[in-house]
Amino acid sequence: MTIISHLLATTLGVQALGLRGREAVLAYAFGVAVDIDHVIKAPFYLRTVGMRNEKGYYWRSSLQEPVAFLWIVPLCLFLGTAVPALFFGIHLAMDYAVRYEKMPWYPYTRTVTRGVLTRYPDATKEIVLATVLACSNLFLLWNRR
Amino acid sequence: MFESVPALESSLDRAVRPVARFLHLTLGLSPNQVSWAALVASVAAAIAIAMGQLHLGLGLVFLGQLIDAWDGCIAREFGLASVAGQRLDTLIDRLSEGAIFAGAAVAGLAPVKLIGLAFIAILLVSSVAERSRFDPGVKRIALYFGLWFPFPILFSVIFAVNLAGYVVALLVCDIQFQLRMDRLGGDLDTIASRAALEEAAGARTTADPEAAR
Repeated sequence: MTIISHLLATTLGVQALGLRGREAVLAYAFGVAVDIDHVIKAPFYLRTVGMRNEKGYYWRSSLQEPVAFLWIVPLCLFLGTAVPALFFGIHLAMDYAVRYEKMPWYPYTRTVTRGVLTRYPDATKEIVLATVLACSNLFLLWNRR
Repeated sequence: MFESVPALESSLDRAVRPVARFLHLTLGLSPNQVSWAALVASVAAAIAIAMGQLHLGLGLVFLGQLIDAWDGCIAREFGLASVAGQRLDTLIDRLSEGAIFAGAAVAGLAPVKLIGLAFIAILLVSSVAERSRFDPGVKRIALYFGLWFPFPILFSVIFAVNLAGYVVALLVCDIQFQLRMDRLGGDLDTIASRAALEEAAGARTTADPEAAR
């Protein structure tokens, strides 16, 4: 999913749960900022593909796969909040609704999956979800006022 | 003990070589037997710490680490190094830390949850250390600072450093896999599954070269 959808979903979660301060920062860190791993992959993309726009490049890393729960859950226990695991779970659920290849438990297993709802076009899912999320955010914001 | 820092490991080897030669040539001890002796020292350390004898306990922790350095030195000095030996060494290291941390929990040096989390973080790093060749190395060694700093801070540091180390180790594995995918080329839509198959075939060849032939 695009960063806009992740941003909308996280904002909705933050609004719905009434998160403030540290909790809100954690929500955005684990709901949106985990996409930072794409920056790590950028040099490899440039080296292999160059400056042209090539779709389907493997941009993912363990930072946004279920294997990351292995370090996020202990972190939650250490911090005494479930926010990182919750918002990371939302981020994952959204990514697993897009049909590109993913390796959920790498490096422990080499299982490759395409996720769920693979019969429907990614663009349709993205547009529908972003619209629903944007409307829900506006609805919550309106109700608060 | 210092596999992740080769320069430190070779200096350490030079320092402990005379003792390692004595243990192997005079006493006839194998690296594995020395590894088990290190565990015995660590369990003794754990008991001492649990009984409130912190100075004695930390002394025994140091003895355990010293013995742990000898096993690797014997293995390298006499050409006895093996993957199985290295894995046994890692297992004994984790058992030693488990025992020492349990001793610290019994003594109430830090909250049990914090000690448990620190140990989990160490296990996570160990689970990918062989593959990533990355290990921050901050484990029981941090406990010596307990003479000057509160133990809850030290266990928090062990937790944070190892958890961060685990994330880095995962990324190292990812980059290794990315390089494999980039070398493979071809249809990007199926690149991960093809690279995974290739990696699995490579792992089988490494594990059993005869069968692969």
